[in-house]
Parts: sequence; structure tokens; C-alpha cells
Amino acid sequence: MKNIFIAFIVLTLGLLAYSTYQGLFVAPTEQTMGEVQRIFYYHVPSAWTAGVCFFVNFLASVVYLWKRNAAGDALAAASAEVGVTFCTIVLITGPIWARPVWGIWWTWDARLTTTLVLWLIYVSYLVLRRFSAGGQAQVLAAALAIFGFVDVPIVYMSIRWFRTQHPSPVMGGGENSGLDPAMLHAFFWNLVAFTCVGIVLMVLRYRLQILEEKVEATHAAAALQGDAR
Amino acid sequence: MTGPVALKAAYIVTWVILLGYLGSLLRRFRRVRQEMKDLKRSS
Repeated sequence: MKNIFIAFIVLTLGLLAYSTYQGLFVAPTEQTMGEVQRIFYYHVPSAWTAGVCFFVNFLASVVYLWKRNAAGDALAAASAEVGVTFCTIVLITGPIWARPVWGIWWTWDARLTTTLVLWLIYVSYLVLRRFSAGGQAQVLAAALAIFGFVDVPIVYMSIRWFRTQHPSPVMGGGENSGLDPAMLHAFFWNLVAFTCVGIVLMVLRYRLQILEEKVEATHAAAALQGDAR
Repeated sequence: MTGPVALKAAYIVTWVILLGYLGSLLRRFRRVRQEMKDLKRSS
């Protein structure tokens, strides 16, 4: 199993190198925005990966509430943290793109605001897990995760439901949407590479969570033994 | 901020965040493993 994971990490690094090269040097320069449009090849895959992580968090939270199994809770904790990391990238690369294109760093339009709310929801989730004492912390976190996930489809649909400053959908946005095939190639491989990075980070964070829980259980057992003596 | 500067900044920020997070995970792994070893030794 360990060898498979190492092979997967090597594959992910190769994919990252290839997709970054495609995004920076092979994909054609967009006519209106110029070079800055290439931020799209990191920004959108980061948003996609954050969405995947939050979906995993949602499923793991449902499983935890249903079965009360520790693996579900550990996966929920891991996926939320990795999701927040990718969502942070989205919230920073977006304004970096917006400044030269719109002339402003930020605007309170539906897409940007719902994404910021999404980030705040999952940061709250992590804070709740970190600082809640008592046996109900995991249950409360799972409940928050399930309600919090409602914002993910709202973020996705916001540019379809509302008139926003954020660009309209590039994929699945109707007749005038779509990408040049060379751009699509770079975009696709960045999407794959970022998804793989997300999986690698989630697996590592999941293992860390399991180890931390083992240490906590050993501490508790040692304390009980000390009390018994 | 011009286009090329923004492009470089966005790619650098992405890598710094990802590598920073990976580094924090590895540090936490090292700390937990050390704690595990200490617990085993003391028991």
C-alpha cells in the first residue's frame, strides 16, 4: 500500500510539472487579457479541488453521524483542512487576477461573496474541532459540515443565477461558452494534477489524524492506569 | 500590478501555500511520532 502511495506521489509531481508547463508556455495567450489569463489554469483547478474536498467532508460527516465510526470523522477532519487550503488559494489568486483586469482587488458580487462565506464556514468548522472540549465536538462538527456544504452548489450556481462581475461560466455556460482546444488541454491537465495533489494531501492528513487519535488514546489509557494506582 | 507580475505572483503564492501546508503536515507527523515513541518508552 505504501509503495502504491509513493508511486501516486511521483505521478502527481510529474502531472504538476507537465500541467504547469502547458499552462505557462504551451496554451495560447488570451487576446483580451493577455498573460494574466494564465492564472485561470491554477485558480479554477484549485476551486474544483476545494469543492471535491468539501464533498468528501460532507460524505464523511454523513457516514460519521450515521455509523459513528472514527474513520469517517478522521476523513472529515482531513478533507476540511485540505479544502480550506485550496479555497485560500482561490481567494488569493482571484484578486491577483482581478487587479490588472478589473482595476480592483475585490468586489462584493455573488460569486466572490459566496466563496468567502464558504471559506469562513470551513474555517469555523476547523476552529470548532480544534477548540471544542467534550464528546460532542465531533457530532457538532459533522452537523456543521452537512449544513455548510449547502454553500458549495450556491457558489457553483452563483454566476448562473446572478449577474456578477466574475466571468460567466467557461464550461457548460451555454452557446457562447467554451475554450480553445489548446487552452482546454492545459486546463484539463491542471484539473487532473490539482485533484491528485488534493488526494495526496488528504491521505497524508488522514494518516496524521489517525496517529494523533492513537496518541490521545494512549495518553488517556496512561492517565487511567495512573489513577488506578 | 501588470499582467506578467500578477501571473508570477499568483503561481508563486499557490506554490508557497501548497508547500507550506505540506511542510506543516510533515512537522506535525514528526511531533506525533516523537510523542508516540516517548509514550512507549515511559510505559
